[in-house]
Amino acid sequence: MMSFARQANIIDYSLSSLWRRRFKSLGVMVVFAGVIFLLASFQMTTKALTNAASDILAFAPEITIQKMKAGRQESIPLEYKEKLAVILGIRAITPRIWGYYFNETSGANYTVLGLDPFSMPLGDQLGEAIDTGALPLDHEAVLGQGVFAELAGGGDAVIFSLFRPDLSLKTFSRAGVFKAETNILTYDTLFMNLDDARDLFSLPADMATDLCVTVANPNEVQTIAKKIAALLPDTRVVTRQQIQKTYQGVFGWRSGFASICLLTALAAFIIFAWDKASGLTPEERKEISILKIIGWQTSDVLTLRFWEGVTVSTVSFVVGYTLAYVHVSFFEASLFRPVLLGWSVLHPALRLVPSVELGETLLILCLTVVPYLAATIIPAWRAAIIPADSALN
Amino acid sequence: MTASFVALEDVCKIYNQGQPNQVRALHNINLVIAANSMVCLQGASGSGKSTLLSIIGCVFPPTSGRATIAGKALSRMPDRFLTIHRRNTIGFIFQHFNILPDLTVLENITLPLMPLGIGPGARKERAERLMEMLSIGHRSNFPARQISGGELQRVAIARALINDPPIVLADEPTAHLDHTLSLAFMEIMRELQRAGKTIILTSHDPLITQHPAVERIIAIEDGEIHVP
Amino acid sequence: MFLNSWSLALSLLSLVVLILIAIAVRTAIKVLCSWDPASDSNRQIRLENETWLSSTLVQYAMGFQIMSLILFVLAADYFSQVISGAMCATGSLAANQYGMPTLQLKLLGAFLSGFWIILHAFDISSERYPLLKAKYIALICLLPVLAADVVSQTLYLANLKPDIITSCCAVVFGEGGESTGNLLGAVPQGALLTIFYGLAALLAIAGYFLRKNPRSSLLWLNGLVWLLYLGVSLVAITTIFSSYIYAMPYHHCPFCILKPDYGSIGLLIYGTILPAAFFGISAALAEVIPVRLGIKEVVHRFQRMAVLISSALLVLFVLVVSYHFVLYRFMGGE
Repeated sequence: MMSFARQANIIDYSLSSLWRRRFKSLGVMVVFAGVIFLLASFQMTTKALTNAASDILAFAPEITIQKMKAGRQESIPLEYKEKLAVILGIRAITPRIWGYYFNETSGANYTVLGLDPFSMPLGDQLGEAIDTGALPLDHEAVLGQGVFAELAGGGDAVIFSLFRPDLSLKTFSRAGVFKAETNILTYDTLFMNLDDARDLFSLPADMATDLCVTVANPNEVQTIAKKIAALLPDTRVVTRQQIQKTYQGVFGWRSGFASICLLTALAAFIIFAWDKASGLTPEERKEISILKIIGWQTSDVLTLRFWEGVTVSTVSFVVGYTLAYVHVSFFEASLFRPVLLGWSVLHPALRLVPSVELGETLLILCLTVVPYLAATIIPAWRAAIIPADSALN
Repeated sequence: MTASFVALEDVCKIYNQGQPNQVRALHNINLVIAANSMVCLQGASGSGKSTLLSIIGCVFPPTSGRATIAGKALSRMPDRFLTIHRRNTIGFIFQHFNILPDLTVLENITLPLMPLGIGPGARKERAERLMEMLSIGHRSNFPARQISGGELQRVAIARALINDPPIVLADEPTAHLDHTLSLAFMEIMRELQRAGKTIILTSHDPLITQHPAVERIIAIEDGEIHVP
Repeated sequence: MFLNSWSLALSLLSLVVLILIAIAVRTAIKVLCSWDPASDSNRQIRLENETWLSSTLVQYAMGFQIMSLILFVLAADYFSQVISGAMCATGSLAANQYGMPTLQLKLLGAFLSGFWIILHAFDISSERYPLLKAKYIALICLLPVLAADVVSQTLYLANLKPDIITSCCAVVFGEGGESTGNLLGAVPQGALLTIFYGLAALLAIAGYFLRKNPRSSLLWLNGLVWLLYLGVSLVAITTIFSSYIYAMPYHHCPFCILKPDYGSIGLLIYGTILPAAFFGISAALAEVIPVRLGIKEVVHRFQRMAVLISSALLVLFVLVVSYHFVLYRFMGGE
């Protein structure tokens, strides 16, 4: 019953049988591959975006301290630095200005990042993210790709101006542009000196928006964060790991929401597959009754149908998955970008690198092949119980 | 050859039992067919002939009564075991041959061997012997739809014999054949009988009913065996 | 936390399994109520046909249940990137009280449906279908286990909350990160290793004798030892062998060995020990089948095969699981 030779023979027959009905099979396979393509592209895009985000987040400081008042964030005085001197294990505390600049002409929000790259331990790594040019000196700024495109009109303008809160103009010269790979975080970013940022936002001289803490031993991050929170009760202490998880949560949520939409497509396909599997032509009925009267068991016909389902799924899966890979890595997931990156007016143009992992593959397999196989069981059984004596008439 | 033996005792077959559309297809059939004989079942359509053929062919068990086919009692045997017994015991030749037109001659002939787990080499070897015997060896790789009626008939015979069954059942085998081919068919049946098989035919064709090799004619009328 | 692909896939998979088994149970109830082998009525013919459907459904369900088991562990690993404090699957599974029970229920579901398929194979080996009633009662009993799996998994996912960086509790949330989430406390290594290898040797010897002569009492004992050994080896993998695979003395995790970072060696480890235990236990369970049913020959043939398979997988398992351990302890180094 369970013999391999029997299975091999039935697989053999199922392949030839699919080939004989290749036009009917092709219809199912094309639609199935399409559904797999959509789901897999989506999953790969999300995964690639999450990876890209966490790669870049690795540059973020281990601990960020923000001053809170009435439950809202306000500027933090630099003197807080001294209060933390008692905590062992802190390697450096660097003030940072992180704010948003609203460009009224384009309606876009820019992220303004002001810090002294030379006093920050990982600051030199920021330099690596810069495509052309160098770290900003006084009255200079490094632009994200999006900001560059808008302010310089894609041309090679070097000087540009922004408004201070009192609507006086502040002029910068372009020191460089961020690399396209970091678009997900830097696309809408203006990176400048601490003093320039303070000037732009009209902040007092001894203030910053937050303090970045670098820790000598990564294992102590949690402990040190706890100590800081105890010493500075009016602050919020955020670790890098937590930021990373919030990003993951947002991506996960967005992708989940879109998966629900995609599952609707899957459901439509399942109904289609059920219908296709149920609709037996008279020739197919005849074939099954002949097989049965010459000695095929009901279970043999069920096995035959199982292997047909597996073959259809395998072919569709390989085709759909490969196309999804091509779509994500060479066409930059053009179908899904608006959904996943939609929180900003400026859509980052990001080079995505999909990864093929066992878990991801199994995930797509479970979402697509399992419902397909499950939906074809009952039609397959209905076909398999066609009585043998119908071949006699 | 006591195994090739058909014995029916008080066999009844009722379709749709206990329902308004209940049909009594066979009524108290008593019939013994000796091993290594050649008999012909005769009856109009609706006479119960096909039902009787199905019971002898182990396609379904009788509703009541005892049917012993090749030494095995069929009474209420589950379909799974009926199928096992059928493929070991019975070779079917159908009225329209029931050859799958898109498969090759070789594939058609070896179809019954697939679920037995016999490998492609062994399948081919067995089929080639039969194709040689029936002189269709040169057609081996032709799709069945491309071969002539006479060849189709021999493909059907080869498929019926591939598992070397002791009983060969042929349902109206000559209905779609001309005179020469019908004669050729009966010659082959005679050869098989000589080789020890039990041959059971159904036919109206005088060429069969009056053929010298046919030892006995069993007439069926209204689900009963008609004694003239 | 349902709105992500992993949760959706898990929910879909378990629901499919539950629906398949529910349809099979419908047949089971009909068979138990009105099966009459002597009858030639249309209803009986329909029932006979439906028995094919039910067994096919269980076979598919078992396949899907195994996929669901693997996916659950992989999903837990994914969740660990989202849940504060979780470093790997262990942390995610421990994130609420439904994680581990779900995993256990999934494993139980896979084992039970496997046992059912063996029971079914025994049943249809005889023309009288001697185990028909028992088989369908067993099928009905399978349903609550799979339903519990769905409920437990749903509760697990519902209670899984990625924490948002809130104003006050940011640090407190992060606290879990310190306990790297070892599933089990300290276990005396030497004693555990002795038991682990001792039982393995015992099972190998028992397997050798049982293949020649499957004696009832010995089979039962063998099955019991297999059950025990399954537990012992899972503990040993977690507390001893895993850290040699990671080459990190304080990393004791039964799940990370499944990751590609470690060559997915865990797939081979669990892919041998779980089926080995399954066959070892089912060889013993097959003894329940009474001799009077007249299928002893089939049962014996299965038991011999099951013992052979479990012994072979056992050897493979011990070799694979010991590889890094032996390499490190006796060859010194990676």
